[in-house]
Amino acid sequence: MSEPVIRVRGVNKVVPTAEGQLTILEGIDLEINAGETVAVVGASGSGKTTLLGILAGLDLPSSGTVTLVGQDITRLDEEARARLRGEHVGFVFQTFQLLASLTALENVMLPAELHHEADAGDQARALLEKVGLGRRMGHYPRQLSGGEQQRVAIARAFASRPHVLFADEPTGNLDTTTGARIIDLLFELNEEYATTLVLVTHDERLAARCQRVIEIDAGRIRG
Amino acid sequence: MRLGLILRLAWRDWRSGELGLLLAALLVAVGSVTAVSLLVDRLQQALISESAEFLAADRYIGSGREIPDEFRQAARDLGLDVADTLSFPSMVFASDERNQLASVKAVSPGYPLRGTLIVADAPFGRGRPTGALPEPGEVWLDSRLFPALDVSLGDTVEVGLAELRVAGVLISEPDRGGSAFDFGPRVLMRLADVPATEVVQPGSRLSYRLLLRGDDDTLETLRESLTLEPNFVWRGIRDSSQSIGAALERAESFLLLGGLLGVLLAGVAVALSAHRYAHRHYDHVAILKTLGATPNQVLRAFLILLSVVGAVAVALGLALGSALHVGIVAVLAEIVPVSLPMPSARPFLLGAATGFICALAFALPPLLHLHRISPMRVIRRDLGGAPPSQILSYAAAAAGSLGLLLWYSNSLWLTLWTLAGSGAVLLAFAAMALLLLRGGRVLGMQAGSGWRLALAGLQRRRRENVAQILIFGLAIMLLLILLLLRTSLLDEWQNQVPEDAPNHFLINVTPDQVDEVEALLGEVTQRMGELYPMVRGRILAVNGVDADTLESQRRGRGVDDGDGPRLSSERNLTWMDALPPDNRLVAGAWWAEDDPGTWVSLEAEYAEERGLGVGDVVRFDIAGRQVEAEVANLRRVNWESMRPNFFIIFSPGVLEDYPATYMTSFHLDRDQKPFLNRLLSRFPTITVLEVDAVIRQVQSIIARVTQAVELVLALVIAAGCLVLIASIQASRDARMHEHALIRTLGGTRRLIAGSLAAEFALLGLFAGIVAVVGAEVTVAVLQSQVFELSMAPHPWLWVAGPLVGALLILTVGLLGTRRLVSTPPMLVLRGLN
Repeated sequence: MSEPVIRVRGVNKVVPTAEGQLTILEGIDLEINAGETVAVVGASGSGKTTLLGILAGLDLPSSGTVTLVGQDITRLDEEARARLRGEHVGFVFQTFQLLASLTALENVMLPAELHHEADAGDQARALLEKVGLGRRMGHYPRQLSGGEQQRVAIARAFASRPHVLFADEPTGNLDTTTGARIIDLLFELNEEYATTLVLVTHDERLAARCQRVIEIDAGRIRG
Repeated sequence: MRLGLILRLAWRDWRSGELGLLLAALLVAVGSVTAVSLLVDRLQQALISESAEFLAADRYIGSGREIPDEFRQAARDLGLDVADTLSFPSMVFASDERNQLASVKAVSPGYPLRGTLIVADAPFGRGRPTGALPEPGEVWLDSRLFPALDVSLGDTVEVGLAELRVAGVLISEPDRGGSAFDFGPRVLMRLADVPATEVVQPGSRLSYRLLLRGDDDTLETLRESLTLEPNFVWRGIRDSSQSIGAALERAESFLLLGGLLGVLLAGVAVALSAHRYAHRHYDHVAILKTLGATPNQVLRAFLILLSVVGAVAVALGLALGSALHVGIVAVLAEIVPVSLPMPSARPFLLGAATGFICALAFALPPLLHLHRISPMRVIRRDLGGAPPSQILSYAAAAAGSLGLLLWYSNSLWLTLWTLAGSGAVLLAFAAMALLLLRGGRVLGMQAGSGWRLALAGLQRRRRENVAQILIFGLAIMLLLILLLLRTSLLDEWQNQVPEDAPNHFLINVTPDQVDEVEALLGEVTQRMGELYPMVRGRILAVNGVDADTLESQRRGRGVDDGDGPRLSSERNLTWMDALPPDNRLVAGAWWAEDDPGTWVSLEAEYAEERGLGVGDVVRFDIAGRQVEAEVANLRRVNWESMRPNFFIIFSPGVLEDYPATYMTSFHLDRDQKPFLNRLLSRFPTITVLEVDAVIRQVQSIIARVTQAVELVLALVIAAGCLVLIASIQASRDARMHEHALIRTLGGTRRLIAGSLAAEFALLGLFAGIVAVVGAEVTVAVLQSQVFELSMAPHPWLWVAGPLVGALLILTVGLLGTRRLVSTPPMLVLRGLN
């Protein structure tokens, strides 16, 4: 828990709109250490999802630097950032983002397949067993409930054995009970895989389970 | 990404039905192009070989001089089949001093190389084909020579100095219609018997032909290897029979155009389904990217995917096209017995190329865009969904169309025309579609809820709907164009030789026979033309310059005199006070009825080829006297009318005093033919020209061409329907979502179904209006520029077009969106459809 796996220096994000330049993030500095669990909280529109996108290398800041697993992603092109994501990053989304044309098993196999790993199938089956979907591997997303879909997504996120797992409102689309189970599962796997977890949420109970809470307000880190 | 993974992804895509429409569109593109071009290819070959019967050969070398033996040898060396014919006019004498001028054709063994001789057992009897020729020492005579010479089978006639036995009745030979008015009664004999006749003398009017049979390439090789002096002409079907050549060319243009439009329609369907596929894969790609797929991997993946789909589509499409073609030929065979030659490789190559070019030009641009989708889309849906570069899409589609059209048509001119026309039509259509949508919205405010919903929907998705009206409009327009062209082509062809067109000519009727002949003809036919007087005469000089001098001057300047007789040849002259029917003035004016001047009217082509024009003063030699007349006007003559027509017509009052004979034309049904026997027995000096066999040949070729045209039309309509389906599928997702929302807000299924129906009907109506405008303009241009037909607006179209458009889109649309109404809204909104 010593080496920062994410280091952010002076990040700004400005986007052009019809009414002129809109500043979404301003002067963000932060460090997240390996193995740490961090919750990013804030009101709707505060910029927390944009921050998540930038931390994960899905988007670039307008200025400033972001170092992810030792690499300055602002100096990488999309090609290299994608490789970086593939090797070190996992995602869980509010809207699950499973590929509708693939079965649960195929969805979970995908990251390993992209890495040309030979045992993608075995790994995926093991992960699906672990999240309790051993009997539903051949089902398509549309045949699964929301909670089940999110479990598939979590299994997929860990399939690439990521260093950092980003979760964007992972319980946002689920009822309280299901949400709670998903959170348990997420933290359980996180511990088992010793992954750094960065999650965006406005669920206070969820935030409370993290070691650290970063609050964003109008594009700045509070406190 | 490894190939295995890409193929697995492709397979998973296919399994979920995502690739189905794209594959289907490509499949139909390849299939329809293959089927159309197979059909065109084989029909063209069949048409050409059938038409070749008109020449009794594939090509011939013709001359007034003997054909050198080296030509014959060169042809044989190349493996071509050869036969010789020699035609000449000659008096034929019968034993009791009767004689008749006949057109003798002497042929070598092997004649005819194409087509068959038709003979009968008795004069004017029913014909049957034969593979035989007159034996040496024998002749076969035209039916009308039997009464004219008063001979029967087995009698002897004299041709020149040779005595030959009458051994058969000749009804027709394939190359009889070769040149108009070479219609003296035919005597068919052996070439080997010609020397004995001693008719071949210096100055004799002889027409030698070396008939050739073989494939096009070899014939072309021969043509290039021979240096033909101006005295020798090389002829194929196109330059030999004008009306057949024209019909063939128009049919080919039409088939080609049909094929072109089929390709374009299929291209549109491919583009539409590729866009839909790409659109549905935005999220897919964004997710893959968050999982570590690089842009290059994504690009490579979709390129490979498209190649695989393209290859599958080509393989299946070629099979489908061939199967379709076999089916069509089978159906065709039930109507008329056809034996089509084997196809060349070109249709298959064309089909395969179409598949790959369609995939590259129409499907690749939207897929290329996919690798630039931002992975941020997974958390911010508004990102990364920007539409693919329109410039790239359109440029690729234009380049693809250009390439395909160019290859398909082999004509830069036709290609550019089609593309420029399409571009202009698209712009005009877009403007019209916008106006119609606006107008519809205003009207819709006063309408019931179903219609209001429909019109609001149409107005809201204005961009998509303008595009859809464009596509529907274009598809309907293309169909209308083909339909209109087909109709006017067929009308034109059928009018060319009407059912009851005169099929017999009478010439050499003397003035004192006129009344009796008219009475006799009146007994058997109601359809008899006027009897025209004819005086023989020839041109001596033009504007004071001697005709022979003029002609040698023109030849010296390399001016082509055409194939007709020389300027100074003797011709039939007549006089008239009014412009005859089927003639059209192209220069000068017709004379007034009481004009005392000496005027002549010339057939325009005849005049042009000989350098004559309005105002020239022409001196004639008529029965030894000289007459000078000024050219008053030039006429175009519709030779296909089968009525007597004249190159040279005098104003009244000039020729009346000269000895004239009369001619007319009339229609005789097949079973009335024995009448000719009666007529000729009564008037042995009258000459009857039978052209009914030629007319039947023309009609059978036209019927075949018509079938080809109709089949191609059917195929293009099928491609058009596919475009409609693809287009409706492409907008299905947006509609589905919207209607699910309305249903959750309390809209009933009935309301949804009603508004959908209204929306499709309106789209179809607007597209129909747009299509009619486009079709009218295009057809007018095509008819006047490409097919050289007369043009006329089609009022019925303005009612039928929009109505058919509305019905068509309504039907296809409702069938394509059945599930839209029946899917529970919850499923749609959860994105689980």
